[in-house]
Amino acid sequence: MAYAFFPGCVSKGGCPELYPAAKIVADKLNIELVELRDVGCSGAGVLSQEVSDPVNARTLAKVEKMGMTMMTICSTCQGTFTQANHRLQSDPEYRDRINQEYLASEGLRYDGTVDIKHFLWILDEEYGLDNLKDLVVHPLEGLKVAPFYGCYLRRPPELMVPKGFEGRKTVLEKTIETLGGEVVNTSGKGKCCGFPILSSSEDNSLAMCGDHTLEAKDKGANCMVTPCPLCHLELDGKQEDAARHKKQDIDLPILHLPQMVGLALGFSPRDMGLHKHLVSTEEIVNILEGVRA
Amino acid sequence: MEITLKFYRFSPGNGSKGDFQEYPVEIDESATVLDALMQVKEDQDSTIAFRGSCRTGFCGDCTMRISRRNRMACSTTVGAAQNEGTITVEPVRLITTTKDMMYDLDTWVYDKYKAVEPWIETDQKSPDKEHVVSNKVVQDLRKVMSCTMCWLCDEGCSTMVVDRKFVGPLALTKAYRSVFDPRDNRTEARLKNLSEKNGMWDCCHCYEASEHCPKGIDPTERIFALRNKAIKANAGIPTVRNHYRSFAKSVKSHGWLDEARLAIETEGLTNIKGQLKQVPLAIKAFRKGKRPLPYFLHEKREGRDRIKRIFEKWEENE
Repeated sequence: MAYAFFPGCVSKGGCPELYPAAKIVADKLNIELVELRDVGCSGAGVLSQEVSDPVNARTLAKVEKMGMTMMTICSTCQGTFTQANHRLQSDPEYRDRINQEYLASEGLRYDGTVDIKHFLWILDEEYGLDNLKDLVVHPLEGLKVAPFYGCYLRRPPELMVPKGFEGRKTVLEKTIETLGGEVVNTSGKGKCCGFPILSSSEDNSLAMCGDHTLEAKDKGANCMVTPCPLCHLELDGKQEDAARHKKQDIDLPILHLPQMVGLALGFSPRDMGLHKHLVSTEEIVNILEGVRA
Repeated sequence: MEITLKFYRFSPGNGSKGDFQEYPVEIDESATVLDALMQVKEDQDSTIAFRGSCRTGFCGDCTMRISRRNRMACSTTVGAAQNEGTITVEPVRLITTTKDMMYDLDTWVYDKYKAVEPWIETDQKSPDKEHVVSNKVVQDLRKVMSCTMCWLCDEGCSTMVVDRKFVGPLALTKAYRSVFDPRDNRTEARLKNLSEKNGMWDCCHCYEASEHCPKGIDPTERIFALRNKAIKANAGIPTVRNHYRSFAKSVKSHGWLDEARLAIETEGLTNIKGQLKQVPLAIKAFRKGKRPLPYFLHEKREGRDRIKRIFEKWEENE
């Protein structure tokens, strides 16, 4: 299996532990990642579509030439790309205009044929969770994991969870179970983490972060797992501030999806970069080592 | 079919905390939940209170939480809502009720609606001929005008859960209708008003509003459009304007985002308090091995010149 790999900015920036973890895990799964280097940021919903659509069309034109599916490890990149791709695929006139105005001078053209999938979807839909289970050497027994999807892997539903792909609504839970962990469901698992309004409305942002992590904690979770590094920036990076805001201790470790997979495949917490998290991951390590002892 | 309708009763005047009351109903499965409620009110208990007017999904009056999903009673069939012969009907969760399913619409809907000044203002004198608006614009505005104020978008909103003062996607969708109407000439003032506290920048663009809108109006995209217009008009709040500009500048010059630069520039280079606020987190992150390079060392991606050209072309088109 080979994919055109779009790592996104955050996996090499604010969450530098994510990129190496994803690479190591993909390698272990025998998934070849051909990294896209000569491409731009997806825009993350911050850049206007008027400029992010041409930048993303350029990326997709390059992937189209490679004849591969594009893999992301960030829900926000996934959401932005899926929406841009939808506009480009469903409106040939719009696509032609972008091709002519922005891509033709570079000899590029996008014909709208690229499929874009998050690593989480690939595990279930292409790799197969049964195949993943066969590789588990250190089941996450004893670990209670709260799944946190965030917004962009679920909405807009007609694009992110189209007919025939309904399994995407519960794929994170199924992945946790495949790896031997116990799922702790929370009401906020598909809600916003708070990150997008951190700069405009900090109190609301911290309230969201606090609500999600405290609910998971109250329900007995030892950790939370997310397929989105922007959610991680909030849930891990701002958790201490959220705890102050809520006037309660939280201390809930937050895992990136590839880290959780990697731990079950036998990689050490250090291999997976758990020591780089702002919230201590000691509890996870203790639980897993207790089981493994 | 025979169903049990579990209807939430609540009378604050009686000191009631609220509880479900059960009514057996014989009704066709293709009838609507609103039909079932009216049947109960007419035949069994005239004291139950709920709203409902047009009965065809046009007025948005009968929004309720039906069998644990927020929807309009007139657009939900008994067959679809029943679960093993039972339908629960209760108020949506974020709005205050005055009795049973009667909502405090002034506080939660109309005051917010009024706050966005949902009317067209022009200082032009009456033209000799009608004011022609292009078909493309009219089609777009007509979609927004189909909003029935059913409140399902606000009920689904992620921000509203933590802050009910947020103006919300409903009112912002109405605001879009005025801002994007070419006959209105208060665009800048409106965008400034919408950028005030509890305004459009509190939207976390989670797409819940779009998912919940029964009319397909896509409130989330409407809010995005308002915000992009505000940025162009220099009307957003300072940190947000800085954030948008720094983001674009970083991608334009390097091809990808420089998060360290974004964090510094978002607060504003001269905003000492804002910069100091970030220091503890920066130190903690640095100690943990999260060490972004200073932005003059931020790696420039291959193809950055092409990406820069895309930005320049876009700026020319503006």
